[in-house]
Amino acid sequence: MTASGQQMTVDPAQSLRSAARRTRAVGTALVGPALVFVLAINVMPAFYGFYLSLRRVFFFGDEGFVGLQNYTALLSDPLAWEAIGRSLVFSFGALAVAVPLALLSAMGIRRLGRWGMVLLTVVLVPWAMSPIVVALLWKWILVPSPGGLMGSLFSALGYPPRDLLTDPVLAMPTLIAIAVWRNFAFATIILAGGLGQIPNDLYRAASVDGLHAWESFRRITLPLLMPSLLIVVSMLTISYFNEVQVIIGLTAGGPIRSTTTLAYQLYHTGFVELDQGRGNAIAIVMFLINMLLIAIYIRILGRQPGGAT
Amino acid sequence: MRLIHPSRRAVLQMGAAALFAPAIARSASAQGLSGTVRIWTFLSAEGTSPREVVLRELIQGFTAANPGVQVLVEPQPFQELETKFVAASAQGRAPDLIWMRDTFLSLVHARGALANLDDELSDSFRAEVLPDLYQVFANKSVFDGFRTSLPLWPSPAQVIFYRKDVLGEVGLDAPPGNWDAFVPVAGQLTKGDRLGFGLPSNDNSVSSFVNIMTGFGPGIFDAATGRFDVTGPEAVAAAEVVRQLVANGALSRTLLNAMGDDIQDQFAAGRFAMAQAFAPRFQQYRNIAAAYDPAQLSVAPWPAFGDRPPAALLGPYWTVGLSARSENRAAAVAFLETLYTPAASLQWSRVAGLVPDRRSVQSDAFYASPQAEVIRIFAGLLDSPGALTFPQNLPDITRVFPVMNIALQELIGTDEAIGAILGRARASLGW
Repeated sequence: MTASGQQMTVDPAQSLRSAARRTRAVGTALVGPALVFVLAINVMPAFYGFYLSLRRVFFFGDEGFVGLQNYTALLSDPLAWEAIGRSLVFSFGALAVAVPLALLSAMGIRRLGRWGMVLLTVVLVPWAMSPIVVALLWKWILVPSPGGLMGSLFSALGYPPRDLLTDPVLAMPTLIAIAVWRNFAFATIILAGGLGQIPNDLYRAASVDGLHAWESFRRITLPLLMPSLLIVVSMLTISYFNEVQVIIGLTAGGPIRSTTTLAYQLYHTGFVELDQGRGNAIAIVMFLINMLLIAIYIRILGRQPGGAT
Repeated sequence: MRLIHPSRRAVLQMGAAALFAPAIARSASAQGLSGTVRIWTFLSAEGTSPREVVLRELIQGFTAANPGVQVLVEPQPFQELETKFVAASAQGRAPDLIWMRDTFLSLVHARGALANLDDELSDSFRAEVLPDLYQVFANKSVFDGFRTSLPLWPSPAQVIFYRKDVLGEVGLDAPPGNWDAFVPVAGQLTKGDRLGFGLPSNDNSVSSFVNIMTGFGPGIFDAATGRFDVTGPEAVAAAEVVRQLVANGALSRTLLNAMGDDIQDQFAAGRFAMAQAFAPRFQQYRNIAAAYDPAQLSVAPWPAFGDRPPAALLGPYWTVGLSARSENRAAAVAFLETLYTPAASLQWSRVAGLVPDRRSVQSDAFYASPQAEVIRIFAGLLDSPGALTFPQNLPDITRVFPVMNIALQELIGTDEAIGAILGRARASLGW
């Protein structure tokens, strides 16, 4: 730029840099408040939780720094490893049922036209219910003694009523079924949207080439649905791994710890035993496991044809 | 005539007098009590259960006598009262009065959340009411001269509710007072869908296993540490009782998740002949009885081992404390004292079927009436030779009941050796 008295010439590069700075400033100003909010309610409590996990905190009294003692006590406790195992069983068991069920529902919704909307509404009802309400509802359905719906049905069919929630073998599968019933609608919606992104021309072309339905599904639908599946599997894994309200409402971790997942162990340690230090240590461990699972999904599913990476 | 126009200052003074005079008059007549008294309890001022009805009547009476005071009841889940109170106290938003279970008193007191009631109660209350309470409960609230709370609704806490009609089927008026006789009777009472005995096995506020152990008397608790021997002979004997009850069908091998409320509901539906229950819920059990005549409901102490007297475990029970951070101590303590008047004690009895806090009230004709039959039984248990309380400093109180409940579930639902189950429980507690 030349001195005054002469018409100033603007350096295009500098002009672009100024414009970029202004754009960034505007963007920061718009995003900033939301970012501060997220930091305040998500990130800062997480750091505070990690801080508490390094201390002995019992009944809301901070009794001092204990280093990694909460973690070593947790990881040397065989019951904690059993809880981790149950969490994985619960998560993957629920996924194995929820994902195919959601995919079938999504395909049904897309093919049934107007009746598809009816199906979607039916599927959405459990998702809209509070988890504790779901737990109480199923608790009364599954009561075996006179008054329980399931018990009455069994009796009407001539079978003795079976208490699914107090059988150490059947309690976990029962909880898995209820958890899937409650929230596979979320996966249905995501997958329905993903199915809508697949061009119909591909299916027409496949039909012309003589591919039958299963081959079309395997070669066209599944690969192109991978991004949606990645989202669904990731979100459902987090949801099922952290599921606790249904367990609290239905089995309280029993019978004989058979439904004590790591999430329930966290609740029990922090809110029943009131050992907030160790409870926060469990929370940190759960966070790390969640991140590990998500990273594995991204690596496996993200590299599939049509995937995100 | 010349009109006198008052000055602006005079107008303002007259307005203030008109505004505050009635309040001052009321305040004077109410001995200076004013403001709001916040109470945290599991009861609701709008509830319909017998205890809630009485609480509402007491509040109405208190506010009528003290119109400058507003009493605000903020119901909380009963399992969370102590923890929420301590957290709120640390944050400066604690209520004035708090309902607490006696087993948590030492923890709450250690956090400095409670005021010393001996410094706050009126002279008349200390002289006349304190000596008139059941001392076994009143003394337990005192830690090194610091009175943390006042006991409310003295009761034998965990008792056995039973149906007289069902016991009559085997020719008995009441359950046997000794485990050797109780176990076979419980087995005989199992018929069809009905089980002889119902135990909450997953309720973190009680331990059925410890209740069975109380059949050995208060000596099961170490005087110095407050612990009990989880693998000792008394615990083994209690475990064997459980196994015997399962073997003869009195206890269901599949009823492993039951909480106190579940037992209550299933008892009402006729699923049990006898059940462990919380004594103050007697009226509630009667009110919801659906599968039997409520008049057939009665109460018994826990059986004992050997020739010991039947056991009556006096806890956990409820106490009421004053927050150390209360900003309206005068009104809060005044309301607290009204819970213990002779009229209030009589009301708790008449409406809610509770043993009166004031022992002297038991001379009233009501307590000799048929309606007070169960109250007489409760009062008798309180004074019985088998009555015992938990130690004042029961260690690991937040873990003892859950750990022993797991052990109970394993005893009921598996065939694992008793020694292994109890050893695992002991290891979990770190005792």
